[in-house]
Amino acid sequence: MLKKYTLHVTGTHCPSCKILLEDILSEQDFVKNGKVNLKREIVEIETDTEKSAEEVVNILNDKIKTNGYFLSVDKMMKEKESDDIIWKAIPIGLGFLILFFLLQKSGILNLGIGSQTTPATSFIIGIIASLSSCLAIVGGLVLSLSAKVVQDDNKSTKKPFILFHAGRLFGFAILGGILGLIGEAIGINFLFSAILGLLASTVMILLGFNLLGIFKKNKITLPSNIFSFFRRVEHATWAPILIGLGTFFLPCGFTQSMQISALSSGSFVSGFLIMFSFALGTLPVLALLSFGSFSFAHSKHAPLFFKSAGVVVVGLGIFALLAGLAGVGIINPLFNL
Amino acid sequence: MNKTALVIIIVGLVIGIGIIFIGGSRGNNNTNTTKNTQVKNTEIKDGTQYITIDAKGGYSPKISTAKAGIPTKLIVKTNGTYDCSAALRISSIGFQKILKNTGEEVIDLGTPKAGPFQGVCGMGMYSFNVEFE
Repeated sequence: MLKKYTLHVTGTHCPSCKILLEDILSEQDFVKNGKVNLKREIVEIETDTEKSAEEVVNILNDKIKTNGYFLSVDKMMKEKESDDIIWKAIPIGLGFLILFFLLQKSGILNLGIGSQTTPATSFIIGIIASLSSCLAIVGGLVLSLSAKVVQDDNKSTKKPFILFHAGRLFGFAILGGILGLIGEAIGINFLFSAILGLLASTVMILLGFNLLGIFKKNKITLPSNIFSFFRRVEHATWAPILIGLGTFFLPCGFTQSMQISALSSGSFVSGFLIMFSFALGTLPVLALLSFGSFSFAHSKHAPLFFKSAGVVVVGLGIFALLAGLAGVGIINPLFNL
Repeated sequence: MNKTALVIIIVGLVIGIGIIFIGGSRGNNNTNTTKNTQVKNTEIKDGTQYITIDAKGGYSPKISTAKAGIPTKLIVKTNGTYDCSAALRISSIGFQKILKNTGEEVIDLGTPKAGPFQGVCGMGMYSFNVEFE
């Protein structure tokens, strides 16, 4: 005789979770029919086993916990708990945002650098750039993607991060070399990088809200293919490399100045060295953001980290979006740092 | 920590961000007006008006005034400028260029009419205004 159990589930944060979870359920011999309802966070299973609901839950949890899902007979008091976390995460996130904008205001980053661009000065400029308002867009993107990738798959490895940084370092170097080789023949397109920047800030805001869990109640409003893309990013080798390479084109005054230097350097080797040392200079801060996300996400502070990161990412995303819109002349500049 | 305390902290932090953005820029405007009275950044030579703006970590002065109706050239000075202010965009005359790290960019504004005039950096977080009157 078939028995029907209605179980509560946590950790199903993406549309593809439904498919994955139902796949795992159908692999179990004793489960005749398993249905996941994302909206209500409920799993309905029909089973012919004599086991009690508690025993079924224990068996299933062993199979699915590696994917970050958790079943329970009674609804977990998670709601209350995550409610408390968000109240802690907002001040932490805001605190980081204030520190960041104060750093911009302070003028510390405007220190004098010689007018001659050498690999050594481009390394220093890289360090400054990674602390400057460029961090809003490049760093924000790195933080949101890293947090998202780690959150989506608890088994994740450091591989995508290493690939991202390698893609960024060597992508910058090779593209810099090409700029040096072609010389003035090509111009760096303002509009192209502005549109890319607006796109990146939109992705940041969406991912930020997703980290905050604001779309939890109505996940369907977000295009599921975006998230399946991020899931694929996890496993593909090309995607992190390509995103790392793509940061070359993101709007950042420092990157663009360096591109001009590489352009006027006149040879492949000097353009290569300038952009490589610039990317190397940005590496410490960006590596801290991505590998920091990784280790936080595997600590007991993970829920607090994801929500705080969400606040920071949404804040930086809104800043970058408004600034980007002002940059292309759609709105008046709202702020002048 | 209880929720009320956290809410108070949040309100405090939001006010802090507000001060950084709004109060901060007002403070800069004040220093600019004093700068404008002390150091004039416009100069008329041989019937051409020259407006000088420094670009480094933002534009300075952020607000300046100039005469309308005479041929005008804008000089943007960079000095070891690698930040966004080197990526200058002036939409009203369709100018956009990533300036040399150190040097002077002379931009012909023609004969401007009375009214506001604005330059923005490529990413949009720095800007300057010239009021032609």
